[in-house]
Amino acid sequence: MLSFYLYLATAALLLGVGSLGLWRGPELLRRILALNVIGAGIFMLMVSLAYRPVLYGEPADSVLHALVLTGLVVAVSATAFALALLGRLLARPQ
Amino acid sequence: MWPAVLLVTLPLAAALLMLLWPRRARVLHFAVAVGLLPLAVSFLLQVTVSGEQQWFLGNWGPLLAIRWQADGLTTLLLLVSVTLHLLVSAYVGSIQRRNPLPAAFWPLSNLLLASLQALWLSRDLFNLYVCLELLGMVAVALVTLSGDKALRPALDYLLYSLFASLCYLLGVALIYAGYGVLDIPMLAGQLEANWLNAVALTLMTLGLMLKAACWPLHLWLPAAHASAPAPVSALLSALVVKGPLFILYLLWTTLAPAAFLPAAAYLLASAALGAMLFGGIAAIRTPYSKSLVAYSTVAQLGYATLALAFILRFNLPEFVAAMWLFVLSHALAKAACFLAIGELQHTLGARQVEQLKGASQTMPLAMFAFAVAGGSLIGLPPSGGFLAKWALLLGLWQSQQFFWLLALVVATLLSAAYVFRVVVLAFDRAAPTAPDFSPQRLPQYLALLPALLVWVMAVFSLPLLTLLKQEL
Amino acid sequence: MGLLLFDVVLCALLLTLAGAAMLSRQLVHAVTLFIAFGVMMALAWARLQAPDLALAEAAIGAGLTGALCFTALARYAGDAGYPKPKLWLPLVFVAAVSALLLYSVFQIPAQPTTELSERVAEHLAVSGVSHPVTAVLLNFRAWDTLLELLVLLLALLGARQVPSQLPLHAGWSLSVSWSRLLSPMLLLLSAYLLWRGAAAPGGAFQAGALLASGLVILRLNQQLAWLSWQNFAVRTLVLAGLIAFVMAGLASLLLPGQLVWLSWPVALAGGIILLVETFATLAIALTLALLVVGEPEQEPADA
Repeated sequence: MLSFYLYLATAALLLGVGSLGLWRGPELLRRILALNVIGAGIFMLMVSLAYRPVLYGEPADSVLHALVLTGLVVAVSATAFALALLGRLLARPQ
Repeated sequence: MWPAVLLVTLPLAAALLMLLWPRRARVLHFAVAVGLLPLAVSFLLQVTVSGEQQWFLGNWGPLLAIRWQADGLTTLLLLVSVTLHLLVSAYVGSIQRRNPLPAAFWPLSNLLLASLQALWLSRDLFNLYVCLELLGMVAVALVTLSGDKALRPALDYLLYSLFASLCYLLGVALIYAGYGVLDIPMLAGQLEANWLNAVALTLMTLGLMLKAACWPLHLWLPAAHASAPAPVSALLSALVVKGPLFILYLLWTTLAPAAFLPAAAYLLASAALGAMLFGGIAAIRTPYSKSLVAYSTVAQLGYATLALAFILRFNLPEFVAAMWLFVLSHALAKAACFLAIGELQHTLGARQVEQLKGASQTMPLAMFAFAVAGGSLIGLPPSGGFLAKWALLLGLWQSQQFFWLLALVVATLLSAAYVFRVVVLAFDRAAPTAPDFSPQRLPQYLALLPALLVWVMAVFSLPLLTLLKQEL
Repeated sequence: MGLLLFDVVLCALLLTLAGAAMLSRQLVHAVTLFIAFGVMMALAWARLQAPDLALAEAAIGAGLTGALCFTALARYAGDAGYPKPKLWLPLVFVAAVSALLLYSVFQIPAQPTTELSERVAEHLAVSGVSHPVTAVLLNFRAWDTLLELLVLLLALLGARQVPSQLPLHAGWSLSVSWSRLLSPMLLLLSAYLLWRGAAAPGGAFQAGALLASGLVILRLNQQLAWLSWQNFAVRTLVLAGLIAFVMAGLASLLLPGQLVWLSWPVALAGGIILLVETFATLAIALTLALLVVGEPEQEPADA
């Protein structure tokens, strides 16, 4: 039970750390990384929630795992697109 | 099931085929876009006659499956999306010789339509997240079609949009933590007024307001919409920002516990007031014609937000009708505005409002389209915008909100000011800006068409109102 | 007790890595720390009994995202002169928000609602596969997965709008021979992951991500000259996952008695899912690989 709350707390703190990076920047690349950290915090929250039944001796919540997997793909796609835009922005002759 | 599935999969399949055979893209595009129109009309009629329909995808029954639901409002939104998709692509087709958009426009606009249709139909919190993300990415990809000058606005748009979807997803996770359900109709009335749900709904609302560019979270919109190619701006302003607004409406009218409604109404109403006033003032002040139209979107979204706030507060059918009439009339009017401005801008080589001098002489059709659409934005009778405003005024009068009546009048004066700012310049025929080449007729007529449609809306006001008032 | 100690160390490590990545002076450090953070996340997923996610995160968070970030990083050379960012104002605000969130997550009831999981377990037998996560992804919530493939495709379409090339360096002979040795193993491993996904952790996405990393390694070593969007076969395969998915969905509508989108008949479900997953794996692999390495060098395309 204690570790469940530990991971929940970590998830909340990751959200905070990510938001700090997103606000502070200053480079765009770091902002993109920060968004990924926020995403990781949310996924951590969801996976901890999926872990809840295990505390009661039942298997983990597979629906949440599927949702996080979908979320991971969406996150990596968005990151790839953002990095492509960033690459073009930086490579552009000034 | 067939019409709903086809309305989503036809544009999707068309986009895939266009990517495989890019040369056939235009033929395929128009075949599909024209075919979708009767389909959407018949679907609307079917739903009005036989009532609301719903399906559990994969036939898995409630809870396990994703739910699609088609009620009057959904089918109306499906129809408007299909109509604007056809109109805007016809415009793109008509300027193909003069300033062609990159070939990627065709598959991307089909994907935009598919993701919008998926969003209107879905009633599942997580599926809506995926739809939102999809919509955001198509929108950004479409903005980049105008080349390197749009890179920075596009990247900003993408980052804001990602942050907003993450906020929404966090809210969904917190709701799932409490109830273990993602289906919106199943959650209706279940949520208790506790801290966790308050945080969840706040996060979702913030994310959606950021995506819908509700003031003061609209900062990304003017740059993104002004730097996109004109037909893309038309699609973005007319349709894309309405998607999150629709989810916001779903959340607050079906999900939220009654105890939260006054606070949310207060928040939304203040955002709406800010949008109507500051959006209008920014539109009056900006030197660029496309920014003017973009800021006008921020201001006009304020009316819809205000109607939503009063739906939460007073639960009158007038407000529901007002909100969606605003959305529909703004969609058509704004498409016309952007297409007309795009046409003026291109032919006159004029990016600034000042350079539109004498446009009523040089390009009377496009200017007429802008003025007609502007009339609906102001709310002149008997346009769609007037219908919406009338419904809102009626509701405000019934609930005796005289401060808001005054605010509405001030906001209307502001919209009149920014529309007339352009129109007055256009009639200044002393030293008109000479066109770079002789104006094309067809694209100007295509810009005029949605503007006329808004005014035609008034003819159908009775069926529209009955359709929308059933929603509560 | 030992497990709790592990949890404490892991969580502390995760927070430190994330914090250091956000606050480090240099971007190179930020990216490196972020990749390490990805690896640790994979470990955390494994600890929280989410092996599917651990596999996916290891391939993505640590592998592909890192490669993508380093590509972007290469362009930051000579790009300096950002003003020193403010620390205190954001820190105070974010600390307040974090405290709120922290308070909120502790409000989450420890007692789970298991109705949905029970429903999944109930219908698992008629879903065509025996691994619940795969059943949810490819059957119960197949529409989400279809849209997710679309998001991935869009990332590629969007990135193609804004191409920017980095020259590929000629393959270093040692890395070339290593890549030739590694890639068949990666191919085998991803086929295994895909096959196993029906009954155990694994599946289209993990297999696709792994295959993508193999393709990227080979491509970076100047192999696979055919890997380009211009190539019709590549394009077909990139779209194959979605095409198979949509066709399977439409076919299911045509079957007698099945009038619901994306409902596979019980007898055929296993086969359909395997078919869709196979094409999806290929599509995911090629899409991710194209996203990372971009188009092969050519004369500047006409603007």
